[in-house]
Amino acid sequence: MLSRDAQNLYWMSRYIERAVQVCRFLTNQLDAIHDSPHDDIERGWKRIFLSLNRQPAGSGLMPNPGDDYFMLFDAYTLTDDLAFEPSNPDAIFNCLSKARENARQIRSVISHEMWTSLNVAFLDKKDLRLLDIWEERPRDSFANASIAVETFRGIVEATMYRDSGWHFFRLGRFVERALLTCSLIDAQLEAFPTRDSSAGEAWSSLLNICAAQSTFRRLHPMEYMATHALDFLVCDSRSPNSVAHALQEIAGAHAVIAAEWRRSPTRCSDRPVGRARALIEYEWPDRDPEDDAAVRSMLNFVADATRKFSEDVESVYFNYPITDDAIA
Amino acid sequence: MPWQRAGHDPTLALLTLRWPAGQNRGLSSLQLRSILACMVANQELQGNSPDHTTNGRESRLFSRYEIDARIHDEMFGQDGTPHRHCRRLHDALNAMPLDRIATMQDHAARSFLEDGITFSVYGAEGPQERIIPIDLLPRLIDASDWQVIEDGLVQRLQALNKFLGDIYGSARILADGVIPVDLVYGCTQYRVEMRGLTPKHGVYVSVCGSDIIRDTDGFKVLEDNLRSPSGVSYMLANRQAVSASLRTLYRLHSVRPIGHYGALLRKCLAEMAPSGVSDPCIVLLTPGVHNAAYYEHMFLAREMGIELVQGSDLTVHKGFVYMRTTRGPRRVDVVYRRINDEYIDPLVFRPDSRLGVPGLFLAFRLGNVAIANAPGTGVADDKAVYSYVPDMIRYYLGEEPLLPNVETFLCRERKGLEYTLDNLDTLVVKCVGESGGQGMLVGPHSTRDERNSFAKKVRSNPSNYISQPAINFSRSPCLSPEGAVARHVDLRPFILQGNKTRLVPGAFCRVALRAGSLVVNSSQGGGGKDVWVLEN
Repeated sequence: MLSRDAQNLYWMSRYIERAVQVCRFLTNQLDAIHDSPHDDIERGWKRIFLSLNRQPAGSGLMPNPGDDYFMLFDAYTLTDDLAFEPSNPDAIFNCLSKARENARQIRSVISHEMWTSLNVAFLDKKDLRLLDIWEERPRDSFANASIAVETFRGIVEATMYRDSGWHFFRLGRFVERALLTCSLIDAQLEAFPTRDSSAGEAWSSLLNICAAQSTFRRLHPMEYMATHALDFLVCDSRSPNSVAHALQEIAGAHAVIAAEWRRSPTRCSDRPVGRARALIEYEWPDRDPEDDAAVRSMLNFVADATRKFSEDVESVYFNYPITDDAIA
Repeated sequence: MPWQRAGHDPTLALLTLRWPAGQNRGLSSLQLRSILACMVANQELQGNSPDHTTNGRESRLFSRYEIDARIHDEMFGQDGTPHRHCRRLHDALNAMPLDRIATMQDHAARSFLEDGITFSVYGAEGPQERIIPIDLLPRLIDASDWQVIEDGLVQRLQALNKFLGDIYGSARILADGVIPVDLVYGCTQYRVEMRGLTPKHGVYVSVCGSDIIRDTDGFKVLEDNLRSPSGVSYMLANRQAVSASLRTLYRLHSVRPIGHYGALLRKCLAEMAPSGVSDPCIVLLTPGVHNAAYYEHMFLAREMGIELVQGSDLTVHKGFVYMRTTRGPRRVDVVYRRINDEYIDPLVFRPDSRLGVPGLFLAFRLGNVAIANAPGTGVADDKAVYSYVPDMIRYYLGEEPLLPNVETFLCRERKGLEYTLDNLDTLVVKCVGESGGQGMLVGPHSTRDERNSFAKKVRSNPSNYISQPAINFSRSPCLSPEGAVARHVDLRPFILQGNKTRLVPGAFCRVALRAGSLVVNSSQGGGGKDVWVLEN
């Protein structure tokens, strides 16, 4: 497969994963603003923006940047920032738009059904503004957008040829998921420390954002304990939204890609991912459940390893120089 | 479908199923089809809108259609009756309720939008994606007319390829004084770098798109596009959309298929591969997603099953071209380039080009890669050189041209300049280096100020202009909210050349959607139509 095509598939998949995640953020947060305590709503917004490493547009004008200023924003402004703000690279519409641009570049290698599905999802949102949906039930719009994107992924699953392109698509999805989940949990521990015994609802909403609520309830029906939720989202590899599962899929997809590389072994090492998997498997269970700092340090290690791996993928498979050595 | 086996016509099967046993004995296939056409029209009428009058006023598709006796009409004769080969289509469409036809038109346009069948227009707001307007009513061409076009275009392309081989070789035609030397060597599209270089089979032009118009005297070639002719994807997309909307009528008309264009193009390109390469790696080189014709590039790459590459995907290493793949570098044998000459190699042509591949021309010179169309073909589609194509045909093939040119006056010649300036109000004046309807004056539709301003430009650089009579080329029915209206149409068939010449029986038919307009270019408000070339 042409390297640029693989790169487009990889990034299309990452943008799609990000768009779904932000849709879930908003669906969940817009549900919360109806009946949650004021403080929880504020911390909920803070969790979202921390996990995306972003400050809302205009927050630089605040008197003390870095303070907890989410109270000063209204839900409409924050939602608009996450959904339609042109300067926010993680805004849903921007992610969809970039994914569609990626798809446009590779229309000759993806199925017609994939293109049509993504193009229609994009066209439906193209001229939409928050004002158009705010008076109705805005959370439904984001829930529907999430369904449209998941439908696209279902079509990918059903129609895409299982060549290396498919594995790059898989790679993109799970690299993004590992990064987003690590970042989200990190933001959760910042906004709702585990020692905060009143944060049960926040852990419940975290599971909702990760689309892991119902499974978690089946395994832990009694109450939302932070430590159980953390274990479930980090190291339970049977859950498709856990970090462990994402790393497992990354390793699996890369094993196929590396085997196809003409010169063996490939210069792209999955050792960083291996180390991250080892940490989750062998060190995570021995952690002090009360020590949020240690947990966050582990998650940062996993995120850094995933980022390093992603950079290697870019340089080894997408942007490599053509030399005698490469041609031989 | 299981019942659609070879030699089995599902239309006739349907008729046989509905017809009382024994009653179709003795009827020919043609008679059966005619009966079925009426049945289809009647059934559509009964099933959808039995009352197709509005407030007691007749509102059929062609009830307000106007015929102009001075202009050839593609569907109607001068007496207002449909041409023989158009009767069935005319009768069936005229029997359909207007709202039903409008709905089908909407579906076709919607399918273009959802499929992303777009072209880019550059304006103040940057590149904008637009769909090319599609007109649902097909243009029909009968078999004998198509044969004239096909024979004429094959002849023309053979002469053009010989001309290019000659001017980049011994230049006999110039030495013999058939074409002025300065016209060729002074042309901006002449590539001195191509001197002494002969591509495989002597083929410089592998893909040609010639624009053909028809007036009351018959078909004429308006211009040849020999660099990167575009529009073939719209030909195929129009066919898909229109045949899906008018599926029964399409099936009844024995329309010659065009869906094998991609396979033919691939075959021609494979024949251009360097000697000794049995399974060539062919790529389509595109400037990228912001190019106006990007959809077409993607479409053709998909149809041919080849990689769609950009300059950054290719590298030249030790005289060979490689593309970057996820399995390592892969050698490329044929580049079907859709970028202009001056951008293909910054080491030879424009040094500031970021679209091309450094060293590509060297690999081409070494014979390690084929480039289609070869660099330097633009000299043969220059609007001034165009006027000599009939002479080329006589010179190289010893034949009379089967398709005439439109009469052309060269402003570089004194008589041509005087005639042009004296008759600006009746002529179309074109800038030789422009395309896409740019830099053009349509005399009969211009104001006095526009003509004066254009005359100044022509006087300041006469060699840069040619003029042609404003031909009232043919019109064809197009859909409007009030029913069918007559609009001017041209025809762009695509001719392919590998070790032999091939073309599919079809063309991209461009329509000037504005009433009275003669400009069919999509960038200037033109649209497209499906062309049904009928079996004999």
